[in-house]
Amino acid sequence: MSADLNAPAHLTDAPEAPTRASVPTPREPVSPEALAAPAAVAHASDRGARIAAVVIALAWHVAIALPAVLAARAEFAAPAVVLGAWILVAVTGAVAGVRLLQGSPLPPWPLAVLLVVVDAAVFAAAGERQLFTAANWVWGTLGWFFVLAVWGQRVMGLIALLSTHAVIALVAVLGHGAEPADVARYVMYVYGTFSLPVAVFVGSTVIVGLARERAAVSAAGHAMAAERDAAERGRQERRDRLALVSSAAGRVLGDLATGQADPGDPEVQRRCMLAAARLRRLIAESDDVPDPLLHELRAAADLAERSGLPIDLVTIGTPPPLPVEVRRRLADPLTGTLADARGWARLTVVSGPDEVVVSLVTPDREGPEATGPPPGEHDDGPVQYLYERDGNIRWAQTRWRR
Amino acid sequence: MGADPMAAVSGDRPIGVAIVDDHPVVVEGVRAWLATEPRLTVLATGDDPDEVLRAAPEADVVLLDLRLHGRMALDKLAELSATGRRVVVYSEHTDPQTMLAALDAGAVAFLAKHEGREHCVETVLAAASDRPYVPPTLAGAMVGDPRPDRPMLSDKEREALLLWFQSMSKASVARRMQISEHTVKQYVDRARIKYTRAGRPAATKAALLARAIEDGLVRPEEIGIYRSQATHDRPTP
Repeated sequence: MSADLNAPAHLTDAPEAPTRASVPTPREPVSPEALAAPAAVAHASDRGARIAAVVIALAWHVAIALPAVLAARAEFAAPAVVLGAWILVAVTGAVAGVRLLQGSPLPPWPLAVLLVVVDAAVFAAAGERQLFTAANWVWGTLGWFFVLAVWGQRVMGLIALLSTHAVIALVAVLGHGAEPADVARYVMYVYGTFSLPVAVFVGSTVIVGLARERAAVSAAGHAMAAERDAAERGRQERRDRLALVSSAAGRVLGDLATGQADPGDPEVQRRCMLAAARLRRLIAESDDVPDPLLHELRAAADLAERSGLPIDLVTIGTPPPLPVEVRRRLADPLTGTLADARGWARLTVVSGPDEVVVSLVTPDREGPEATGPPPGEHDDGPVQYLYERDGNIRWAQTRWRR
Repeated sequence: MGADPMAAVSGDRPIGVAIVDDHPVVVEGVRAWLATEPRLTVLATGDDPDEVLRAAPEADVVLLDLRLHGRMALDKLAELSATGRRVVVYSEHTDPQTMLAALDAGAVAFLAKHEGREHCVETVLAAASDRPYVPPTLAGAMVGDPRPDRPMLSDKEREALLLWFQSMSKASVARRMQISEHTVKQYVDRARIKYTRAGRPAATKAALLARAIEDGLVRPEEIGIYRSQATHDRPTP
């Protein structure tokens, strides 16, 4: 029953559409929305308790207190005060209840002060004869409105209010010249006004806490299962690709061994180069669950390789969780350049907690620039983009710094 | 490309190399690479470091495959380095942790098997004269070193390592950083020398550092290694 319950419950965002190639879609960094799921469950559970509290308070006020007040209106010391106070509390209680159910409760302490003032006024106005009857409606009703007023606060607040109510009642009882029977009655009434509201208040807090805990445990379980699935899929993918690469490499080696392929033949050399580059990339993949950025780059590398470009992809470190926008700015300019590369390509990623640098180097050649920003240095938000060609190599680099 | 690595090698005697690998085809391949460089001669080859070094105790440089008969030979590497053997590790295991662990154990250099002939010859030549040579793959491991006790590199040293790792061309790095190729190599080598501080002390590390100071590549106070090693060596009470 803390403040975050009042926030609207978010559902998790729809997962990103899988990118081009057959690398398993990696785990997204845990989003704040996903973490809010247990809070949403707690929120739903808390809402039930609020409805119950509002219904009890208003039903008691209307169904029990009102007939008694009306029946005894002639016997009050100041009937107008008792009736006016009833109407005031009815209106205020209704507003407070509606606001509580809407998730934007009235400020608790001004409301509590108002209720305490009403309490004192009604005790004073009820008169000695109506002190312990149902017509002195503050006995039965006010405790529930205290609950509505301080919903979501600590239980000590409620106990303080009820204690104030008990003191006011004691002053009234003693003021009217209490007999021992009155004191006994007083103790019974105070017990009655305390026990139920406190029980409901504490019970709902505990239930919400349990619901939140259970939801968190279940969310953690789901996350773990999802991660395990992703890891399993990644492993399966890698196994499949290894089988594919092994058979390609095996064929070249077999052809070389049987003399069907000539090591001097540029085409054979090219096949060897491709097979070796693929094997190296597979060996270099050390992450259990692929990082989204590496996943994107690998997919691009696979695509380029399928069109016959030998490509080295070397990654150092694991990128920290990056916003989608940053990831896009890091990867997109390079994947564009990669699609245009000829000869060979070297794609590197160096990651630290505060910096990620992605670089693509390909041999320079005559012809127009690759698709992507023009040569030079550009700052695209938090990502710096650098592109140059020196007659020897074409070099594109994107760099994010925290 | 900086000072000629051969400058300090005395006499006309070619540099003796021992090759330790459990794949004969790799041994033959490396032998063929080294044969293109007249200053190098392969003295012995085999799949057991002890046997190879018994056959050629005078070898100046040992090229060691890190994975022998299915086991990582890091212990053997540390043992050889401690006795002052200049070991160049070459391996297909190029994950940064393995490379940094090899440097920590005292390897003079780490070479990825796919890095090719030129890097191999350069590395062996540099190792023979206790000079650093950082191939691009090793530069990547150093620039991405996540360990909290990693050596403190200057911004320029980090940038030179990073760009060298990315482009594999010192000329391109020089153009990008607007400095000379010689300065690029100095930044990269200085970063490597700072790594002589990491891990346990070894004779090879001391030799690398001493030569770097002699060459004016670093000043002792930039490294702080003397005090640090003394602390290391002092037996704990």
